[in-house]
Amino acid sequence: MSMAVAGSLRGARAASFSEQLRKPVWLLVPAACFLAFIYLLPLFDLVRISLSGPSWATHFERVFAVSLYWDSLVRTIKISATVAFLCLLFGYPTALLIHRSKGIVQVLIATAIVLPYFIAILIRTYAWMVLLGRNGPINKLAIWLGILDEPAQLLFNRGSVLLGMTAVLLPLMVLSIYSSVSRLDPSLKRAALASGAGPLAVFWRVLLPLTLPGIGAGVLIVFVTALGFFITPTLLGGPADQMFAMHITQQADFATSEGFLQALAVVLLTITLGVVAVAGKFLGYEFIWGGGKLVEATPTPSETRGRDKSARQRSIGTFFADAIGWPLLRLVGRLPASFGTWTVRLMGGFVVLALMVPIIVVMIISFSKASFLTFPPPGFSLRWYEKFFSDPEWMAAFFNSLTIALMSSALAVTLGTAAAMGVVRGTFKGKTAVMLLLVSPVIVPPVVLGLSLYSLFLRFDMVGTTWGLAAAHAIGGIPLVVVVIAASLQGVDPRLEQAAAVHGASPLRVFRTVTLPAIAPGVAAAAFFAFLHSFDELVLSLFLSSAQLKTLPLRLWADVNYQLNPVLAVVSTLEVLLVVGGIALARPVLARSRGAI
Amino acid sequence: MTFTSRWKRLASGIAGTALLTMAAGAAFAQDNVVIMQDPGGAYGEALRQVMYDPFEKETGIKVVTVQEARSGPRIKAQVEAGKTEWDLTFIFDQETKLLGDCCLADIDYSKLSEGAQKTLASMPDNLKRPKGIALQVIGVTLAYQTEKYTAETPQNWADFWNVEKFPGKRCLPAWPRFVFEAALMADGVEKEKLYPIDMERALKKIAEIKPHVSKWWTTAAQAPQLLLDGEADMCMAYAGRINNLIVVEGAPVNMTWNEGFVYYDFFSIPKGSPHYDNALKLLSYRLDAERAAELTTLYPVAVPSPLVFAAADPKVSLYWANNPENVAKAIEWSPDYWGAPSPDGKSTNEEYGQEKLNELLAQ
Repeated sequence: MSMAVAGSLRGARAASFSEQLRKPVWLLVPAACFLAFIYLLPLFDLVRISLSGPSWATHFERVFAVSLYWDSLVRTIKISATVAFLCLLFGYPTALLIHRSKGIVQVLIATAIVLPYFIAILIRTYAWMVLLGRNGPINKLAIWLGILDEPAQLLFNRGSVLLGMTAVLLPLMVLSIYSSVSRLDPSLKRAALASGAGPLAVFWRVLLPLTLPGIGAGVLIVFVTALGFFITPTLLGGPADQMFAMHITQQADFATSEGFLQALAVVLLTITLGVVAVAGKFLGYEFIWGGGKLVEATPTPSETRGRDKSARQRSIGTFFADAIGWPLLRLVGRLPASFGTWTVRLMGGFVVLALMVPIIVVMIISFSKASFLTFPPPGFSLRWYEKFFSDPEWMAAFFNSLTIALMSSALAVTLGTAAAMGVVRGTFKGKTAVMLLLVSPVIVPPVVLGLSLYSLFLRFDMVGTTWGLAAAHAIGGIPLVVVVIAASLQGVDPRLEQAAAVHGASPLRVFRTVTLPAIAPGVAAAAFFAFLHSFDELVLSLFLSSAQLKTLPLRLWADVNYQLNPVLAVVSTLEVLLVVGGIALARPVLARSRGAI
Repeated sequence: MTFTSRWKRLASGIAGTALLTMAAGAAFAQDNVVIMQDPGGAYGEALRQVMYDPFEKETGIKVVTVQEARSGPRIKAQVEAGKTEWDLTFIFDQETKLLGDCCLADIDYSKLSEGAQKTLASMPDNLKRPKGIALQVIGVTLAYQTEKYTAETPQNWADFWNVEKFPGKRCLPAWPRFVFEAALMADGVEKEKLYPIDMERALKKIAEIKPHVSKWWTTAAQAPQLLLDGEADMCMAYAGRINNLIVVEGAPVNMTWNEGFVYYDFFSIPKGSPHYDNALKLLSYRLDAERAAELTTLYPVAVPSPLVFAAADPKVSLYWANNPENVAKAIEWSPDYWGAPSPDGKSTNEEYGQEKLNELLAQ
């Protein structure tokens, strides 16, 4: 669509100027304007309000003077680091397992990892509440086995928070590491084994150094996402597990906290961006979108330096492998070659179980006869499905979510595709910076974004409007679209487009007849991701919806907080079916663009 | 019922719902609605059944509910931005004062129905303010599992804190209000001398019970659920839902009004409310003594008027927060204290206490 605009503009202007306008760079303009208004402006406003006390530092002094907030900040960082470590510990073998298995087994394992990735965090957290509950399957099983005499309190403690967050974020880690692992040359491992290296040596000297970029990217993306987590610790944690984002929502309950509330949000935002900035210096900012370096117009000096650095980093990796790995190896001695294989199988299998069991348990409970959550169900019935489909409020919420997600997806795909074309086909300096801006919404904690948008939405009368919510959801949808489409575009030979253009095709025609057919699978996948992103979105909606406009996640959230019942399980089951259906339809597409995700 | 007929019902349900959704859309278009804050849970369902559905049928005004535990800050943000969304909200006693000037509209008492006027005439003046009407008496009490405590039952907060005499898990709200008062009473402070609250002393006492608290709850429906699920044996809980469990569902729980807390929730109309007249109509409807009494048979939270008390089933009103017998045992909770500026002058006592409590709970 944006190509059309560029095309008609071209006809109206003078020749030299039209040459200028034909540059793909201009395709970035719509997305840039959109993000500037609905994303950057509110964040600047947030900072302004946080500084609006009697003196600029008043609200910040309170954040750091009250030990509650300081302690919570330290705790948030500790929890996030632990979760990142756990994700790495279990994610690495899982990525290897996917890589090493073949055929249908590989498809099944990959699906078990990817499926939860697309299911709403709220639903996956709810599944863990069911699993760990007093009448849940884990307690029941432990009593049946005679390990416990009476049900144990498994929920509302640090352990349940770590477990829940790790399970929620694991797919992110696995996908990130897998993208590194899948690029490995399998003959390297054979060569190492043939040269007499044991499994640990292969791991330390070959696998680890080569997959270090994937590991770094995975750890960082998990750590940064965990910093802003709100849903999982709220539902699974006790008062000793308060994370920083939770203070922001809690403070929103007090009438007198304007300014202070924003200060809390600014602190969280600053820390998040700080971590990303420091990490980006070492890893390159590409870790955010999980892609390779972009082709710049002219390699800037800083980039050459970056390459040197990555070369040096590899040697640091080897150094560590030598320093820590070899002594360790001597201790362990030479294990049989199957040791590595079995470690990978066991841990990977455990991960697959941990990701799938909660979903399966919830699906079974949705058919329960009982009016409370207990497993196994005392009997089966369709009463909760009946309740869901006959309750006008649930149905209204469902249709609202559907409408919003469709609108949001259309918006994100339009703006994101144009922007991706601009980034990939354009020739300009600072591509990394532009890409960084386009994908940065995935880094900003949703609580911070929601709070900043709330005042913008009030001012422009957008609270509780369908298009307002759709636009807000598109902020997070655009990065997904840009990443997927950019990857697809890099697979299209630009010479094909040039050839068509040379033969007289207008830019619009080139796009329609050459580019679009080539990237169509990518566009479809991007549209699906953007749709699900909006369909599952809870935190922004908490701030921006109204009485008349309740979305499905909002209804779920209210019910999780006010009355836990099996209707939630019904909604969860339906969402799982939706995702499975979507993935089944999009599988050929996903297979082709998997390198990009 | 056979399997196929179930599926038929399901299918017709879906079709019917689609129609209903469209009808609801049409109702919004006509803008003949009133937007009402809703407590959710069993209380919300009772309100829907006794109040909103008949109200919609009678007046043609659709009641749109929004579940929200606490509305004060949202009202403030909406009014200050000049974009009020809600028509009728319930807020805390102290908030009718904190938010009165900035954000709440005057209630036009002359426009209320005759029935409502009669109920109002029977209420004390302090409960009908220019900016708010006390529409529900709320009680917060000590509730317990009757299957767990059979021989001797807990009678006061000292018993609640006594884990040797009454072993078992506890649950408490994660708020300073009520919890600080209960801690002080457990520590031997007389109920007439609670205010101003000695926060340090209260926190020290709370630290004692903390290891035995399985969950610090945040929404009204959680405490009874924890008791039912066996996650807790003794809780500080809202009396309404516990009453509901005893009378309506016959669940194995009970409560004591001894050292309980009684306060009022006020119903207010935010400034610039989009459907002011509809809000007054719904307010009138809810103040009708007969209907208010009927509501209590499903969910026992009552309008604080002797007329409603007289109209109610004595089996239900036995547990009411405004039953004179219960009030005599309870303490008069002070909203004014919690709304007053905090010792450090940066916020209110409530906010200050919340920070202190959160700090303790986080340890």
